[in-house]
Amino acid sequence: MSEVEEILDRMRADLADLSDQRARGALEPELANRLFRSAHSLKGLAGMFGFEGMSGLAHRLEDILDGLRMGRLAPDAPALDLLEPSVVLVAGLLERAGSARAQEEAGTEIAALIERIEGALQAPDGAGPPGAGEIDEALLRALTEYEEHRLRDSLRQGRWIHLIEASFEILSFEEGLAELTRAAREVGEVISTLPAPGEVPEAQIRFSLLVATDRDSPALQHHLDHPTAVVRCVHRGAQASAASAQRAEGERSSQGRAAAQQPTPPSRPGQRDHLDHPASGAEGAARSEAKPSEVNRRVPAQQEHDPAAIDDDAAGEAPREIGPELDSLKSISETVRVDIRKLDELMNLVGELVVQRGAIGAIAAQLLADPASARLGRELVKVHKMLDRKLQELQAGVLEVRMVPLRQVFEKLSRVVRRLRRDSGKDARLEIRGGDTELDKLIVEELADPLMHIVRNAFDHALETPAERVAAGKAPEGTIRLEALQRGNHVVIQVADDGRGIDLEAVRARAVARGLIDADAVLTRKEVLDLIFAPGLSTASEVSETSGRGVGMDVVRENVTALGGLVYVDSSAGAGTTISLTLPITLAIIQALTVGVADQRFAIPLTSVLETLLVDPASIQRSEGREFLNLRGEPLALRRLHAEFGLPAPPPEARVAVVVIGLGDARAGLLVDRLEGQQDAVIKPIQGPVRTVAGIAGATELGDLGTVLVLDVASLVEDVARRREAA
Amino acid sequence: MHHILIVEDSPTMRSLVVSSLEDLGAPVRITEAASGFEALRELPRDDYDLIVTDINMPDINGLELVSFVKSNAAYRSIPLLIISTEGSERDRLKGLELGADAYLVKPFEPEALRRAARDLLSKAKAG
Amino acid sequence: MTSGSSWTDLARSAARREVESSDEMRRELLVLWLDGDPYALPVERVREIVRMRAITSIPRVPAAVRGVISLRGEIVQVIDLRRRLGLRGEETGARRARIVVLNGDDGQLTGLLVDRVSEVLRVDEDSLRPPASRDAETVAALAAYGERFVSLFDVDRLLELDA
Repeated sequence: MSEVEEILDRMRADLADLSDQRARGALEPELANRLFRSAHSLKGLAGMFGFEGMSGLAHRLEDILDGLRMGRLAPDAPALDLLEPSVVLVAGLLERAGSARAQEEAGTEIAALIERIEGALQAPDGAGPPGAGEIDEALLRALTEYEEHRLRDSLRQGRWIHLIEASFEILSFEEGLAELTRAAREVGEVISTLPAPGEVPEAQIRFSLLVATDRDSPALQHHLDHPTAVVRCVHRGAQASAASAQRAEGERSSQGRAAAQQPTPPSRPGQRDHLDHPASGAEGAARSEAKPSEVNRRVPAQQEHDPAAIDDDAAGEAPREIGPELDSLKSISETVRVDIRKLDELMNLVGELVVQRGAIGAIAAQLLADPASARLGRELVKVHKMLDRKLQELQAGVLEVRMVPLRQVFEKLSRVVRRLRRDSGKDARLEIRGGDTELDKLIVEELADPLMHIVRNAFDHALETPAERVAAGKAPEGTIRLEALQRGNHVVIQVADDGRGIDLEAVRARAVARGLIDADAVLTRKEVLDLIFAPGLSTASEVSETSGRGVGMDVVRENVTALGGLVYVDSSAGAGTTISLTLPITLAIIQALTVGVADQRFAIPLTSVLETLLVDPASIQRSEGREFLNLRGEPLALRRLHAEFGLPAPPPEARVAVVVIGLGDARAGLLVDRLEGQQDAVIKPIQGPVRTVAGIAGATELGDLGTVLVLDVASLVEDVARRREAA
Repeated sequence: MHHILIVEDSPTMRSLVVSSLEDLGAPVRITEAASGFEALRELPRDDYDLIVTDINMPDINGLELVSFVKSNAAYRSIPLLIISTEGSERDRLKGLELGADAYLVKPFEPEALRRAARDLLSKAKAG
Repeated sequence: MTSGSSWTDLARSAARREVESSDEMRRELLVLWLDGDPYALPVERVREIVRMRAITSIPRVPAAVRGVISLRGEIVQVIDLRRRLGLRGEETGARRARIVVLNGDDGQLTGLLVDRVSEVLRVDEDSLRPPASRDAETVAALAAYGERFVSLFDVDRLLELDA
């Protein structure tokens, strides 16, 4: 079903473009066609898998989009407004695909939407198509309905229709054809691409591009500047050829003027070499080195033409029309789908290599220590150093591939906000900062849901209606700020709104009503705020259509904790609320500190270790059943790991080692028996029937140290933080 | 051994068609093309006994492929089956006019695909 | 005319690439021994069988969970089957002890520590008998094993540990 998701993503991006284009009043025909094809594929896939509801809806989408691309629907047609809600509904159906009951419930929503679409499509058709009688019948036969429509449309606009014919080698036609197509698109629309057998059918293939343009044949031929392509006019356009020649004249002179104004050196032999290939010139150089996404650079390059050279190649190139190329750019720059399982496999492999390298290092050390093998040892150390360097590069490379910018999630969120704005009648501006901040792909994917919930929540509950806001002396438009910043080895993502803030009294009262706290419990402000993450706090009556069903802040916290992160909330009554997520940058390879507790060994991710200390047990202070250490004037809450894990305690007089851990702003000190060493480790999840083990994040294989459990810093630190606040 | 060429841009659809035809009941070798262009490149490489193609594809559409195949002496005799979504009536008719031998409308049962394939393959052998 | 289910089935089997035995009425069972008694596991759920090795204990888990082992990079919990079934007697000895690695229903692996593993038994589906009520909790059926009957475990229920 990932293909369906891809199609939906594509549609969403295209629909955003569509709404922009509708606002501007300039519709790109290729966009409508692309949307149509997406809806068409969606319908096909949904049908194959028996998703009647989805298929029916996709069918209606297809109808709307067909109407749009065929010119039956005007850009301002109300039916087009139903496109986005339909896509959202389909996406929702996909998410709930597993649940039969959800499918049933969705049934009514689908039926309602379908009705609305059908109603909107009842409107009378637009102008009927004029005949395409002048075009060769044979040509028309291989055109699909859509292509026919584009042809008729072009005829109606009085454009010239040409056939560009070129021959290619069968094994390598794609590039050449793409080149030719691109050139043609610069000055017109490629309606269809027709293959025909070449002269030597087994080795060659001929393509005819059916093109609509304002140029006449010689002008088009000239523009294409292709060694073998032949332009054949199939239908003369409304404008006489004189007009195009005149335009070329005008361009040439304006170009001369522009060039003359540039302070170019009198003659540049190097540039002349470039211009050997007429009309390619600087563009040719630019074209060959520039990736398709850099097309826009061609225009400035042209202006730097040496004025003397213009006579040389009789260029008179018209300024490129950037418009029609955009659609081909988009398809080329579509993202490469990377299967995250492959990334995980790669990561695992690298991790295991890293552990083996550690083992080699240990053996090398042993060899060095023994005089008999010292020489061998030195050799091995050299090899080990080289291996180390290369592995680090590899590790960095793989990690980089895993890292993706948060922007993609933020963009999804801005679409969500747009829809919420429309549906709720509240006005809000979304500010995004730090979209470039990168996180492990896995984490980013898992973050989408919690973030979406937080944003929806902000919209639903935090932001007031424009009227309320004005009454409170605020601007009618609310602001939701999404910000991501990197802090050392963590990333902090904040969702801040300037809404009504959290009503501490109301939260407290609700918690008492639900039996989560005693009526007379004394709680700090932070603890009350923290209550919003308690399961069961939000009630069904508060769950509105836009905030979704049954996903509470407790689930958000669970999800974030599962990623090894923390969620905090801060709020100011009347002014706004900020929710902060602190996340480790990557879940994959970590450096770990190994410690000993009783006869067991544990590993702590070094990124969370702030410092380590050896302390005299006498310096440990007790207060209300909890233990503290005075660390440079600040109290550090302590946790004894042997107590935590039910292991035998060390003798009381022994010096203890304290590992100071931190995540975000939270701190804690872990008491262990021994500090052992530092290792590279790949944290693996623990598979099996027991789902969660308190305080344990996973385990790692550390060569001859065997399998070692990895501590879950977030849970150890958080508990302590919460308890500390109460103190 | 029947050699079948499948031309379909949706990977999901393609793999479904492939698995369905693998169960044909006779030995088959299946070549997949994810686009019209790929199909054009595959055709000269081997002798095909059947071509199954979608219509809606990005670079050259299925109709153009049909036209190419049927106007090409080397490939003209290969039976050609179009799979298309319901609603492209005119396109389907055009496909038949251009020389396609049969069409199936999505969604279809795997067995229907197999039946059509067997039918076309046996006819080709006989005729 | 809805063809949805047949396509989905086709897709699933294509993805799983299951080799269906030509004779579907036969089942294959792995026979293992605990405390001198034979038991059986469905072979389809067995990923592999490994020798006893160092088990790292995990804190605060049900007694039946001995700990975890590392299996080619994957960390897998090991259930001591004796403890799971509440059998008394000697702790599982070393030399012939084996860990049977099972596929959980969610794709995760779990290991079962047993005294020894002896063979793979082929039985006819219709020769299986329902379990004695006493065993019903973790036993799916009884299979004929020579003169006796051997308990065939219901893997999913076996792996359900109440915390």
